[in-house]
This record gives sequence, structure tokens and C-alpha cells, in this order.
Amino acid sequence: MVTTLRRQLLEHTLALGPSWLAGERPGELSLTATRGLRSLQAYFARYLPQAAMAAVVPVLLLAWVATQDRLALAVVVALVIAVPITMIYFGREATKRSERQWRRLGSLAGRYLQLIEGLPTLRAFGREENGRREVAEATEGVRVATMRTLRVAFLSALSMDLISGFGVGLVAMVLGLRLLWGELDLPTAMAVLLVAPEIFVPLRRAGAEFHASTEGHAAADRVLQVLATATATATATLPGPTPSPRPPSSGPIVARGSPAPTLGIDRLQVDYEHRDRPALQGLTLRVDGGSRVALVGPSGSGKSTALAALLGFVAPSAGTMTIGGRPSSEVGREEWRSTFSWLPQRPYLFGASLADNLRLGAPEATDDMLLEVLGSVGLSDLVAHLPGSLDTVLGQDGLTLSAGERQRVALARALLRPAPILLLDEPTASLDTDTAARISQAIAPWLESRTVIVAAHAPVLLPSFDAVLALGAPFPMVPAS
Amino acid sequence: MRTLRRVLSQPGTPYGRLALAGLLGLASAAATIGLLAGSGYVLGRAALRPGLDSLVGILATVEVLAFLRGPLRYAERLVGHDAALRALARWRLWLYDCLTPRVPAALAGWRSGDLLTRAIDDVDTLQDLYLRTLLPVAIAIGSAAVGVVAVGLVIPMAALGLGLPLLLAGAVPSVMAWRRRGAGERAEAAALAGDLSAQVVDAIHGAPDLLAFGAGEAALFRIDETARRLDILDRRHTLSGTVSSLITQLCLALAVTSVLALSVAAVHDHRVGRVMVAVLPLAALATFEPIAGVAQAVARAQSVRAAAHRLLALDEVPIPVHDPGLPQHLGSGVPDVAFHQASLRYAAGLPRALDQVSLHVAAGARVTITGSSGAGKSSLVNALLRFWPLESGTVAVGGIDTDRLAQSEVRATCALVDQRAQLFAGTLRSNVTLGRPEATEAEVNAALAAAQLEGWVATLPAGLETPVGDDGVSISGGERRRVAVARALLAPARVLILDEPTSGLDATQADLLLDTALAAASDRSVLLITHRAAEAGRCDTTVTLEAGRVTN
Repeated sequence: MVTTLRRQLLEHTLALGPSWLAGERPGELSLTATRGLRSLQAYFARYLPQAAMAAVVPVLLLAWVATQDRLALAVVVALVIAVPITMIYFGREATKRSERQWRRLGSLAGRYLQLIEGLPTLRAFGREENGRREVAEATEGVRVATMRTLRVAFLSALSMDLISGFGVGLVAMVLGLRLLWGELDLPTAMAVLLVAPEIFVPLRRAGAEFHASTEGHAAADRVLQVLATATATATATLPGPTPSPRPPSSGPIVARGSPAPTLGIDRLQVDYEHRDRPALQGLTLRVDGGSRVALVGPSGSGKSTALAALLGFVAPSAGTMTIGGRPSSEVGREEWRSTFSWLPQRPYLFGASLADNLRLGAPEATDDMLLEVLGSVGLSDLVAHLPGSLDTVLGQDGLTLSAGERQRVALARALLRPAPILLLDEPTASLDTDTAARISQAIAPWLESRTVIVAAHAPVLLPSFDAVLALGAPFPMVPAS
Repeated sequence: MRTLRRVLSQPGTPYGRLALAGLLGLASAAATIGLLAGSGYVLGRAALRPGLDSLVGILATVEVLAFLRGPLRYAERLVGHDAALRALARWRLWLYDCLTPRVPAALAGWRSGDLLTRAIDDVDTLQDLYLRTLLPVAIAIGSAAVGVVAVGLVIPMAALGLGLPLLLAGAVPSVMAWRRRGAGERAEAAALAGDLSAQVVDAIHGAPDLLAFGAGEAALFRIDETARRLDILDRRHTLSGTVSSLITQLCLALAVTSVLALSVAAVHDHRVGRVMVAVLPLAALATFEPIAGVAQAVARAQSVRAAAHRLLALDEVPIPVHDPGLPQHLGSGVPDVAFHQASLRYAAGLPRALDQVSLHVAAGARVTITGSSGAGKSSLVNALLRFWPLESGTVAVGGIDTDRLAQSEVRATCALVDQRAQLFAGTLRSNVTLGRPEATEAEVNAALAAAQLEGWVATLPAGLETPVGDDGVSISGGERRRVAVARALLAPARVLILDEPTSGLDATQADLLLDTALAAASDRSVLLITHRAAEAGRCDTTVTLEAGRVTN
């Protein structure tokens, strides 16, 4: 149950994609997916069994009391009935407050993660105090919100204590009076008095476990909230000319080994929130299978946006994209993406081994293939120097590598993926001219029969291009073939 | 135990509040004993058929105790939780202070998701030490003492009859909980929770890469796998509690029976009044209530120890660079920067990242550092900004060895445009003014102009007040870099380190940005790290690095 929820949350997070994630705090999402859902587990593992006990044990004990003394029974039953009423009343209020508390904790996690990752920059600017203040503020916020929740949550425990306390006190009084009047013998009275507190114990425990799992409830609410966010890019509802009604086929767009398909882009436009100008407008392009195309333009001219639209990370506000004549709206997203391999401008390397990072898009690649592709991007020396060779674990985001090395590992990763169309975003940004020239020659065999689209400030990396398309100018200067 | 002692000796632990909570809890436990013993007394007396008036006093006392118990516990809980939360706030600051001197170089291999779990989950687990270990154990011992003494005052042997089962009920489950396997499992669970978080953060950060490479399913599978293992450990932990509560119940039965037997014997010998047959077993019963929590407290202590271990492990990572005892100070002029035979190595066994590097940036001069990627350009920055110590040789700023300067002074003197161009959540303005929050509008605008950002900022609906998302993701790579340049130019530093300031820009734009940035640098000393040969021409000297060595 919890495992399913976690999986759904992360699946949906990935489905919502990078443009949605940009507005979220990874630390908060991670907190919900890990600790929050772990607390929800406590609800199932601890609260539910305890609630079952609370439903059965008091009834059995009450039945026994009924055989001993009716008046004592009446007193205890009246109080036991009061228990769920107070529990529901205070529980509801506490749950409401705990949602706020969970948001505060999420905010603390989000801010803390950002500080952990930005701390080198803060240090370089001598602003360690900024972060310290932020931590102090966020933790104080958590304390205040938590205490607000607890004041109410403990009220329910208090009412439970009062009820069970008075229960015992009243039972003692009733039994005492009946003894006094000679209506009861001492052993019976003693037995009833011994049993009376035990009737309340399972109820109190269930109440305590319920409050221990409120964090899980708040996390579950957050999960449902994320799950309710519609995946805007998922359905790829592109306005513009209605695609010809063709039944979506279930097979891959391109069979492996066959030549790369033609990629068509027609009057593509992308708008971002917060910007009054489209990030990309009127991009029209036809890329034949196996050709080399450069998208050039100054930074901010929409090169990366064009690639993001091709990869389905942003939903175009107008225009169409086709592969092999099939519009993107007719193709499942996974299938659509399987046509592309990508070198991002800011590649992310995972906290796993070098080999695992390289195999990201090609799980079946052999070690020999990995070494070969590393050689092509000029990283043979690096592998030779790494203590564990291919199995060396790179720090999160490849922190132990230099920017140039990161970029070349990411290029190698992109080359390994057996996809017919390669999208390379600023492939030489962190490389010196010599290295770039060497790589340009060495990777040629990897590009054979594939389509290559390079987005950069100038036509780089490849010795020649079939077409160069300038973005940022009002009209494409060089029409693509 | 050593780990727990270290946690408890942390300065700032609110012992006053904790002691108050303990006393309130003890008072509540004593009220419970009084309530049950008093109830027994009522029954015992009533069975003797005295007049009703002789029972009124004790009946009133019982009802008062019945009322007091709840509010006392309520107060104990609030005071205790408040104390614990204050302690946690201190721990989160402690952790921040622990990270600060160790980033970036000393923690290069640590995953941020794992560090986050330490900051949030592991610190939160520490509250169990205060709330679910210290307080319950103290209250259980206190109330056991109250109960045993009270019973012993009436029948001395009964103190033994109650005390021994209490000891058993406290000790046996505790020893069981503290046994090796449990400890190992809690440590494993804490480590797994860290892994899980690291994997989730990794997947979120790397979401675009995962999606584009069709690797999302595989990443989710790994996360599921970790979660499943954690789940199994959590379940086993829940089960182990059931056994210990069984033992407690057995001890309870033993105590009540033996106290009852001793009371009956004593009444039979006319050593005590008949009423005690009712009072003492009930007192014994009430005394057992807090002891049931001890085994759980010990089991919690296992988790606390595992969490504390993970926190204190950070403190054991050596701090790479320390400030000198009596730091010297730089003069007010623009300083020069001199590397002399400087060597740097990140770990024994790895090749030197810098190998006897000597270079000089005269006051106000511009020096370019070029070299292929991995040649040691970034290590030069780590050495100059004192993020990592030199193995041998010296780096001097303004003629003073940086070893003899406070790190804060070195960093205040050198402003950095770092490769990652890290942005923080907040407004664009707060990001630009990071190094100089008091900058005037004119100064900010000048910096923006020098970084060629004016036009772009004008297109933003809220201008400088536009929020930049987490890590500034809604900003393109080129713009991030320009923000980093503006930030460095605005900082009141007299040395500028530009680490690949133009990567991601086209040649024309790179040239323009460099021209305006260098003009804005005016008389400052500039260290320009670049892989573009064309940029070298703008500087006085070019130094080429290859495998950590200067080759020209």
C-alpha cells in the first residue's frame, strides 16, 4: 500500500517532468516520499492492530463486568462511549494542524537541501551566516507549528486520561457504596476494580498510535495533491491542424538498425510562465534521416527550449512535431522519447558508478563498449587514473569530476544510447578547442547513420553540417533542406 | 553508550525543562498509584461496613487524584516536547556548522540527499532520546521507587515482592532490546533511510536525464528495492515490541500475586489491617504502568544511537583547513596573488591535482589560466580560496601567505564566478547582491549592465524581484552564468576569479560579456580560467596547465 503510493508519487513526479519540478523543492518532495510515507506505514503496522484491540478487548471486559455488577457497568459504559467522541473531535483538529506542521517541515527540508548544495557558493562569498539564519528561522517555524499541533493532540490524550481516571474513581465509589450497603462482597468488588482500568488501556494506546501516525496522514495528503496535478505535457494536446486520424500503432517508431526517420517540426511555439515573450516561436524544420543540423543562436534564443519540446519536457503552445510522418500526439511519450538520445546543457550524473552512469540509456552495453566510447570522448586517461576504474562511484552529480570531464561522460552516455536521433546541447561548452577537435574525429563512427542535431552558439563539434538554422532572428536565415 | 553520552553532553541541551517534565511525569505516576491504592482502601473500608461519613474523606481524595493525573501528564508532555524541539533546533544548527568548514572538497563524495536525511530524519530521531528514553526511564525508576517504598512501609517483605518483578520487567526486555542484532538492524535501517532519500533526491535532480534516456523505470525499481528492505526492518522492529510487552505482563501478574499473598499472610498474622489486602495489590498494579515503557525506551535508544552515529560521523570528517591562531591582515590596496611551488592532492593514492605550480598575478593585472579539462584549473581555485590545503608550497595574497590569513579574509578579498553558477531560492535581486546586501540601486544596475543582464531583466515581469525557482532552474544556462558574473562584480572584493565565465555563450556574446566584465573589474586583479584561447588575448599573461603542472 505504502510502497504503491511511493511509487505512484515518484512515477507521477517524473511524468510531470522537468518543467513542473522547476517550481518544486526537491528536499520537500524527498521528505514526503521517504519519511512521510514511512510514518504512514506506522498507521498500518501499529495503529490499525491497536484499533482492532481497542474494539475487542473493552467489549470482552465489559461483558465480564456485566456479570458482576450492573451499576459499575453503567458507569464504565457511559465513560467508554465518551472516548471515541472526544477522540474524533480532537483528532480532527490535530490532523488539521499537523498538515501545517508537515508543510513547515517540508519547507525546512527544502531549504536545508538547497543550503547543503549551495554552501560552497555561500562560503566563497563569506555568507555562511545567511544559511545559518535560514536554518534557525526554519527550525523555529517547525517548533512553533509542532507545539501548536501538540497542544491539541495532547488534549485528546488528556481527555482520555481524565475519562479513565474518573472511570476508576467513580467505579471505586460505586463499588464502595454497594459494599457499604451490603449488596456486594469484597472479592467481587476487588475484581471489578482491577479490571476497570484495563478497559481503558487499549483505547488510550490506540489514541496514542493514531497521533503518532498523523505525520503519515499529512504526507499522504501531499502525495494525493501531487497525484492530482494534471500532466500537461502527458497528453500532448497540441492545438493547430488536427492530426489525420491514424490508429496509433503499438510497435516502435523505428526498428533498430533501420535508417533514422525524418523529423518534422512545423511552426512550433513554446511559452513559459513569467515571461511575456515566447521562448520559441515559429520554428519550422525538416530533418531527414542521417543528416546533421545545427541550431545556432545567442543564449536565450530558444535552442534548449526547442530540444526540451522535442523531448516532451515542455508542452508547445502551438505547432506540430512528427517523426517518420507520425505526429507526437499519436505516439506514446515513452515511445516518442525512445527515438532520441540527449546531451543536456547541464548534464546530471548520478551517485552511482561510472559504468552505471554510462549505461543509463544502454543497460546492455558491455564493458568493452564503455571503454571504447570513453576512448572516443578522450577519457581513457581518466578511467586509467580512477581507483576502481569503471566501477568507481562518482559523487552525486559527478562532483568529483571537472566540468569538462562531466560533459564528456555525458556525451559518452548519449552516444551509447542506441537511438536514431542525437540531440547535443552545447556539446563543447566546457571543452578546449584541441579536445573538441580530437573528440570530433573520434566520435564519427558513433554517429554513422544517425541524425545529429547540435544546439549551440555556433556550428560546433562536427566538421560539417547539412543545414544551419539560426534562431533568435525574425526568420530562419538558412532554410533546412 | 559513548555515542549517547556525547549526544547528552551537547551544550545547550535544555536540562532545566527536561527535569521539570520529569517531575511532572513523576507526580502524575504517583497520582495514579494514589488513585488505585485509594480506591482499594475505599473498598477495603467499605467491606467493614463503617458509617458513610468515615468514607467521604478518602472518596474525595480518590476523585481529586483521578482528576490530577491527566493535567499533570498533559503538562509533562508539553514541557518535554518543547524542550526536545529546542534541542533539535540546536542540532540542526550544529549540523550546519559541521558542514560549513568541510564543503566543498572534504564532502565531495557525500550525496546531498543523504546529508538531508541526516539533517531532518536523524536529528528528529534524537528527540526520542529526550522524550522516549530519558523521560520514561527516569519516570519509571522514580515511580517504581515511590511504589516500592510505599508498599515496603506497610509490609517490608512486600517491597521485595513488588521490587523484584519490577526489576525483571524493566531489565529483561531492555537487555533483549539492547542485544547486538537489534543494534545492527537499527543502524542498517538508518543507513537505508539515508540511501532511500539520496536515491529519491538523485532521481528528482536527474529527472530530465532519466526521462530522456528511458531510465526512469530502472531508477524507480532501485528505489522500491531500498524501500522494501527498509520496510522489512521496520516491521521486524514492531514485532520485537510484542515479545517484551508479554514479559512485562507476566511480571505484573507475578508482582500482584506475590503482594496479594504477602498481604493475606500479614492480615492473617494480624500484622496489618484487613484493608491492606485491597490497597497493596492495587498499588502494585499502578506502579507497573510506567515500567511497561522502559523496554520501548531502550529499543528507541537503539534507533537514537544509530542516528547519532550518522550525525557525529560528519564531525569526524577532518576539517581540511583551519584558521591560524593569530591571523594577519591585508592592507587596503589591491593585492597581488602568488602561487609558489604549490602542490595539492585530494587523497593519498590519487595523483597530485596541482604539482609545484608557480604563477603570479601582479596587483591589478589580468592572468589567464588555460588547459584541457581536468588539468587542475578548479583545484587552483580550491587552493586560492582555501577550500583545500596545499601539500607543499605556498599561495600568497598581497604578499602574505594565505595560511596566515583568516579564511574569511581571503574569501572577502577574492570574488568567485564558479562553474556551477549556483543560484538560491529567493528573488533575482537577493542572488545578485549575495556578496553585498547593502548595495545601492545604482551599484546593482551597474553590475547588471556589466554582466549584460539589463535587457533580460527588463523582459521579466517583476524585474529584479522575480523569484528564481529552486536552484534557479527556470533560468537558462547562459543567464545563470551572467547572474554569477554580476554577483562577483558587485561583491566588495579586490581580486576576481572568473572560472569559465562564458561557457554556454556564443563567441560574440562571450567576447562582449568578457569586455564589459573586465572593464567593470577596473583596477582589480583578475584570474581568468578559460578553455577559449581567444579570451587569453585580453589578459596580460597566459599560464597553461597540463596534468596539474604549468607547461609554459
